[in-house]
Amino acid sequence: MGKRSLHNATTRESFMWGWILILPTVLGLLVLNIYPMLMTVYQSFCKTGDFGRGNVFIGIKNFQKLYLDSSVGQAVINTLKYTLFQVPFSVVIALVLAVMLNRNIRGRSTYRTIFFLPMVVAPAAIAMVWRWLYNSRFGLINNLFNSDINWISNPKLAVYSIAVIGIWSDIGYNMILFLAGLQEVPKDFYEAADLDGASGIQVFRHITVPMISPTLFFVIVTRMIAAMQVFDLIYMIMEKSNPALAKTQSLVYLFYQSSFVERDLGYGSTIVVLLLAIILLLTVIQMIAQKKWVHYN
Amino acid sequence: MMKKVRTSSGMMHLVLILFSIAMIVPFLWMFLTSFKTITEATQIDPFVFFPEKWNIDAYVNVSKNMNFLVLYKNTILMIALRIVCAVVTASMAGYAFGRLKFRGSEIAFSLVLFQMMIPSQIFIIPQYQMISKMHMTNTIFALVFPGLVSAFGTFLMRQAYKILPKELEEAARLDGLSIGKTFIQIMAPLTKSCVVALSVFTAVFAYKDLMWPMIVNTGKDSLVLASALAKMQGQYSSHFPELMAASLIACIPMIVLYFVFQKQFIQGIATSGGKL
Amino acid sequence: MKKKVCIVGLLLVLMVSFAFASGSSETADKTSGSSKPLSVMIWDSNQEPGIRAIIDDFTAKTGISAEIQVVNWDNYWTLLSAGAQGGSLPDVFWMHSNESQRYMSNKMLLDVTDRIKKSSAIDLKNYPADIIGLYTDGGKNYALPKDIDTIALWYNKTLFDEAGVAYPDETWTWDDVYTAAKKITKPDGSVYGYVNVNTNNQAGWYNLIYDNNGYVISEDKKTSGMDLPQTIEAMKFMEKLINEDLMPPQHVMSESGDDVLFQSGKVAMTTQGSWMLAAFRDNAYTMANCDVAMLPKNAKTKRRSSIYNGLGWAIAANTKRADDSWKLVEYFCSKEGQLKQAQLGVTMSAYTDTSDAWKNSVPQFNLQAYLNMQDDMVIRPYSKNTVKWENAVLESMLKVWTKEITMEAGCKEAAALMNAILAEE
Repeated sequence: MGKRSLHNATTRESFMWGWILILPTVLGLLVLNIYPMLMTVYQSFCKTGDFGRGNVFIGIKNFQKLYLDSSVGQAVINTLKYTLFQVPFSVVIALVLAVMLNRNIRGRSTYRTIFFLPMVVAPAAIAMVWRWLYNSRFGLINNLFNSDINWISNPKLAVYSIAVIGIWSDIGYNMILFLAGLQEVPKDFYEAADLDGASGIQVFRHITVPMISPTLFFVIVTRMIAAMQVFDLIYMIMEKSNPALAKTQSLVYLFYQSSFVERDLGYGSTIVVLLLAIILLLTVIQMIAQKKWVHYN
Repeated sequence: MMKKVRTSSGMMHLVLILFSIAMIVPFLWMFLTSFKTITEATQIDPFVFFPEKWNIDAYVNVSKNMNFLVLYKNTILMIALRIVCAVVTASMAGYAFGRLKFRGSEIAFSLVLFQMMIPSQIFIIPQYQMISKMHMTNTIFALVFPGLVSAFGTFLMRQAYKILPKELEEAARLDGLSIGKTFIQIMAPLTKSCVVALSVFTAVFAYKDLMWPMIVNTGKDSLVLASALAKMQGQYSSHFPELMAASLIACIPMIVLYFVFQKQFIQGIATSGGKL
Repeated sequence: MKKKVCIVGLLLVLMVSFAFASGSSETADKTSGSSKPLSVMIWDSNQEPGIRAIIDDFTAKTGISAEIQVVNWDNYWTLLSAGAQGGSLPDVFWMHSNESQRYMSNKMLLDVTDRIKKSSAIDLKNYPADIIGLYTDGGKNYALPKDIDTIALWYNKTLFDEAGVAYPDETWTWDDVYTAAKKITKPDGSVYGYVNVNTNNQAGWYNLIYDNNGYVISEDKKTSGMDLPQTIEAMKFMEKLINEDLMPPQHVMSESGDDVLFQSGKVAMTTQGSWMLAAFRDNAYTMANCDVAMLPKNAKTKRRSSIYNGLGWAIAANTKRADDSWKLVEYFCSKEGQLKQAQLGVTMSAYTDTSDAWKNSVPQFNLQAYLNMQDDMVIRPYSKNTVKWENAVLESMLKVWTKEITMEAGCKEAAALMNAILAEE
């Protein structure tokens, strides 16, 4: 009898405290984000008028247009290509760097600050520099290696070149998170492994990775979601006149063109709904897979 | 045994140095371009690497024309307030989602995840109208508004809390602490490195955010660094040396903040074996 | 530890010194005007100092002060449309032909027809009729013309000298351009005779079309003229330049930009709008090596047209200070204001014959060419959804520029897409 009432009391306490603690966040999200999202979904079923007036409900016509629009299908492929290239590389490189910088080596704080720099460099500067690096006739890379590759204007290559910029900018972010996660790993695990004569790689595989798998999971999921939403890089680096644009533009880029440039909010909203569905699918897959490889205490 | 350590340490430094160079190149470019003339900055063939003369005209003009005092003030206030909001709300929610079992938590958390999947451009117009109706345009509050809560932060803190050992709560329970007290006194202090990481991210994101501050705060006295920099990009051509000079001056607060916070990383809160 | 403190300290000192070095120009804004400043919104920070000067004169005369807000082009229309939806537009702001119809048909702009009639400073006869037309809806005026821009031919004297070709002059036809380009283009690709990326339409190939008596959009704005035989014939000139490699390949033009290629001495000729004066003036290379001439004429029709456009000063329909806002706009567009604007060398003013000062602002360039192009001006093609069909047309043209399809096929495709979009308006 005592045990059950204790359990109920605990459940009630958890319920009360749980909701108190999450209330600010949940309320904030509902007002700031979910409500606009619902409006967007509604707009995807409308032919939108100017300035939010005169929205005419047209059912699934926008979705039919979407289905027939070849540039949307291509954009889905482009976005997936970008994501599947950018995320693994930025995660792995950042993880390796973080492991290196977790030890007490010389110049550690200098390195950490250097890797932080891309995060604060003005986007205008990033665009300038990478456009110069990648310029097919006059750029540094082609002139240094005497090559003639159209890094950002070859339709087959451009999306990957942009992904490289994405990897470059994300390494700092990921590294910071991995460092935070690595701090949590108790030192005696490493000491024990040392005593057992384990090599660096073995330690990495069997201790480090499992111990920081929650952080790893977090980084992979958040980076994947962010990669699927890539926009700024493409917008800044590639002009409308770029022959490779069709094979590089992402879904958010198309959405931006539709909603903000051509002022067709209905169709733009439809693109967003599609993007959301894809991201949702990918995230659900990740959440299910997490049970297989993520170790929580 | 010793030899192995030395070679691997040499390799490691090589890797670190190579990546460092890759990270620094744009910064170097910004720095060099800020001392060039417009002609040198636009020349594509041959690309001008080093300015012929190190002229500081760009810096002089930019300091004269931009009111950095106001810009710094607005940007730093916005960042500081956003950090406070994010850390407080995300820690609370992160703890609840990460450690407590209660009805509705799964649905609520999926809301959090959901928000992250939505492209942020969608929020701009509805949020602008909310601010407009409240007559709060051109205020610091307007700048902080979208960051009052943080889905990303909530997710991050949830992971941070999930990592902590179960035994802590059991011990707190035995000591008669309520859930709230357990949270504040025992659990939260142990997530310091993740809180610092969250602060850094919030700061960087707020600092780089352009569309929102540009739209909601247009008055001269309420601009932030990002908007002031964007304004400098003319419709048909930009004064690149000045733009680079201004961008460099603008990143100084971020680098300072990072330097200061970085010490927390190094000290870290690595739980040593005994404390468990 | 000590080193770190030193570095942090140094950075803080630098930061503070930049902050305190900042202009006292800010305090000048708190002017003597007793009323709150009007809000004036523009998108080009290059024009800000000039407009500031004009406002200061206005304030000295009337005591009404105004504050300028600059929002960059990308975000300008988002902000304006958010403001229009939410009900808080700036008092006075720039309007552009891309969006003017949308704003007028939704009654977002103040009707100034009666004020114009009553005004002694504003007489519509003094402005180009087409520009006034951009900001007229249902017979009523909703904005006043601010400026105009025309197109001209820039050329690189040094490259012409090297190839032994005479400079362009008023006798030139487009065929002369072709001949010159052929002589100047070097086979190794280090120099090209001409440059015109597909997206450079207003200042580029649009002009060819109208020279040949074709059109991009019909007068009633219901059909596309891209598939007219005259249009296709005109565009075949561009096709010739593309196919004979007298222009850099599309990807080079796209990656580097027409103007940058010209400023770096990689191309000998380019057509550019009068708005590019500031960029060419500030670049030492173009100042030393380049000059500008009128656009060539069409050999057959003898026509020498220039696309032109003009911004307008508009007032929000729901502004709380209609009278004051009108006074400011009236001043901007009065002869006095327009003369001042031209003096500052940023743009040609809309008021007839006030642009001499602009022409004289950079004597090294033959800016008279731009003024002469006013003889045959065609308003930039527009409709309610300009951007939408413009993008579609540019996409078709991209395929032509990358040699994927012929110009004829490209024009027909562009026309079909454009007609579909116009049908929805």
